[in-house]
Amino acid sequence: MSQPRMALWAAEDMEEDLQDVDVNLALGNYGHSELYDEGAPTLLAMQHQKLLANEEAFAAIPDPVKRFIVHFHQAVLKNNLAEITVAYESGWNRLTEKYYSKTEWPDADLIAPLVNNDPLFLILYRELYYRHIYSRIQPDIDDRFHSYENSCELFNYLLNSDGPVPLELPEQWLWDIVDEFIYQFQSFCVWRSKVKSKSDEELLLLSEASQESGLQVWSAYSVLNVLYSLIQKSKINEYIAAQQQGKSEEEIAEIVGEYGVLPLYRLLGYFSIIGLLRVHVLLGDFTLALKVMENVELNQKAPFTRVTACHVATYYYVGFCYIMLRRYPDAIRTFVTILNFILRMRQYHTRSYQYDQINKTADRMYALFAICNALSPSRLDDNIANIVKDRYGEQFGKMSRGEEGIPAFEELFTYACPKFISANPPPYEDPEALTAYVEDSPQEPAHRHLTLFLSDVRAQAIVPTMRSFLKLYTSLDAAKLAGFLDADEEEMVQQMMAVKSASRCISRVGSDKDLLDGQMIVTSDMDFVINENMVHISESTVGRRFAGWFIRNTEHAQRVLDGVRASPLPAAPKPASAPAGVSAEDGAVAKPAAPQKSVAWAKPSA
Amino acid sequence: MYPPPSEWVTPPTRPDLIENLVSGVDRYNPSNVGILEDYLYHQIRTQEYDCLANLAILKLYQFNAQLYNPDVIINILVKALTNVPFPDFNLSIALLDARSPAAPLDEPDPFPTLLPHLVSLHNLLQQCRFPAFWALYRSDELESLRDNYTVEVVGFEDAIRDVAVRTVKATFQRIGKKRLGSYLDLEDADFDAYVEKLGWKTDESTGVVEVPSNPDNHISSTIVQEDIKLPQLSKIISHAMQAV
Repeated sequence: MSQPRMALWAAEDMEEDLQDVDVNLALGNYGHSELYDEGAPTLLAMQHQKLLANEEAFAAIPDPVKRFIVHFHQAVLKNNLAEITVAYESGWNRLTEKYYSKTEWPDADLIAPLVNNDPLFLILYRELYYRHIYSRIQPDIDDRFHSYENSCELFNYLLNSDGPVPLELPEQWLWDIVDEFIYQFQSFCVWRSKVKSKSDEELLLLSEASQESGLQVWSAYSVLNVLYSLIQKSKINEYIAAQQQGKSEEEIAEIVGEYGVLPLYRLLGYFSIIGLLRVHVLLGDFTLALKVMENVELNQKAPFTRVTACHVATYYYVGFCYIMLRRYPDAIRTFVTILNFILRMRQYHTRSYQYDQINKTADRMYALFAICNALSPSRLDDNIANIVKDRYGEQFGKMSRGEEGIPAFEELFTYACPKFISANPPPYEDPEALTAYVEDSPQEPAHRHLTLFLSDVRAQAIVPTMRSFLKLYTSLDAAKLAGFLDADEEEMVQQMMAVKSASRCISRVGSDKDLLDGQMIVTSDMDFVINENMVHISESTVGRRFAGWFIRNTEHAQRVLDGVRASPLPAAPKPASAPAGVSAEDGAVAKPAAPQKSVAWAKPSA
Repeated sequence: MYPPPSEWVTPPTRPDLIENLVSGVDRYNPSNVGILEDYLYHQIRTQEYDCLANLAILKLYQFNAQLYNPDVIINILVKALTNVPFPDFNLSIALLDARSPAAPLDEPDPFPTLLPHLVSLHNLLQQCRFPAFWALYRSDELESLRDNYTVEVVGFEDAIRDVAVRTVKATFQRIGKKRLGSYLDLEDADFDAYVEKLGWKTDESTGVVEVPSNPDNHISSTIVQEDIKLPQLSKIISHAMQAV
């Protein structure tokens, strides 16, 4: 499959390459011409031409970038995790900012001589190269196809070499590889579904791609195949089960085999489970999404929480599944857990390059929390609820008013839902069908899911109004209530059944490990029952919660006390000496000399 | 009462063959679609129900447009109607890719015309508007749904009555015969027989049916007090230990 494309590349290069360049000079500089011996003679000639073109481009690469690549390559060769991490997390990003903030990194073929044509390093380099294109520059159709091929090469190398590959990569990178693979798949599906904006060349390539049955670029099957292969090869499910049973290191090594004992495979396996969760959600299969998670325990102590981006994504998608399963209390609990985690982690993440991404996901989860809380009011966490009121107070107010709040539900859902995709491409292989498709385009997947969600919302749209009336009484005649609501009595009684149904919900309780498990619980603090025509109402009141406030402030006081103890005795008190950038806590530590200000530190977190 | 969710995920009636398909990677193999479709028709004949196995069929259809079979999809949706208030119906719709089938069928495709009706029926059930459900279900418009599909689904109408009964049980302590009859679409002798089968008692003098007491139709006011767990305090306690 790669052969014809190779030619396409080379042809393009030849057109551009009409300037005269000294062949000997070029070959002399590279000194690796023997590596091209394997090619067919014509290919060889073309590659010589290409070398000429590359010569100039190669010279144009800034020296720090060349040094970085050589160094990076050495680190990978030596399997030096610390150095790889530095290169990956800071070097690459620093040079991107400096030289490639708006253009591609040098082509992998171009830098190949720097790394002895090391095929593995070139695959890893391309992984970064394409990811950079996707995030900074608009990828074109070639980029999309080639990034797919490169991912396949990487996974092929990892899965189908003779035995496990002794490569080590930082866990963050491994997560990014899986995450990016799915992102590119999703991006491709969205791009592919927009027929109108395609050029003739793109139409041609897409029609070819959809005719090669079984070999489809970015097909859902191929993506699932990669993820399931990684899960099976690494025996990650067996690993998690063995860990939960408290088996010893040796026993676990025995169970998971030669692949699963290596951190690279184990982590890729775990990340693939999360990847599957995501892919299934994108395709609208919310039960299967939670089912693939059946072995994973969702808690802060789980062994795989170190990669924050993965941790956050997991909770986002699980929470979203619960919404679509109408298990709002479970969704709320999921979001509260991770949002608190993000709040606590915030101080460590401001400098991370993923901070933006995590923040965006968090903001979407606040929106989803607002939705759930409107559908199933809870007082689980005042802290999070207050932030939601700050950000989405207006929408929340509307959503709590039933039918008229539907546009607010629509707005927040559309903003916060995953980027749904359609499993199948438009019929690119059949021009006639394609024309029909353009004229009568099917509903976009996101719209379909929105419609389904709104039908759930409508089913309980009457709840807020009904509640506000019922709360005023302990018992009330149905006919009288119907009069208040200006409704037919029989219809109103049916609505009351809907209100009753909305106050019951399946939810996981403490002992349920499986994400799909649970029991029927009561979600409303107001309950009622109808005795023939008399409505009896009761209300559960929740006592005011103090613990959270006192715990937070006690912990805060302890930190302040520690700070005071650790700081040297003030020589000469200068009241306004705290520098501007210091956080409230540090500022408070510097201040205790002035007694009237000592209450100041207690307030911000109250 | 409602079955626990674990039975929804894995119904006790599910054969091992199906369990292996639903839980393994074999669920993606298009050549297994026949097994799952046969299982669906088995459910239709026996009043069994297995949502996840049926979703697995739709998953295969989603990935393999050539497998598309409108009769199967309609039957899955009809079965899903019987499990309101659980989200089965919408979960099934979520898997239907909004595209026309790849291969033209021999007969006109009944699915596009029936889908809006099925959605309406589902919305009525979800909103507990049972009399309106029966009126729509019995209307001339839905003759083809009744004659071609639901008539084959053994116990379909009773399964819908179960949906109503579950809701009535949660909402009512006592309910008038006429009102209950309109929810169940039953009158006179049929109604009496049905209520008797449920084990509910009717007071003939007042025409009121007594709904047995259950956790949902028994209400009481409670005050929920805060419950502080030890782990919440672990940081404070451990700090106190260090300080000494």
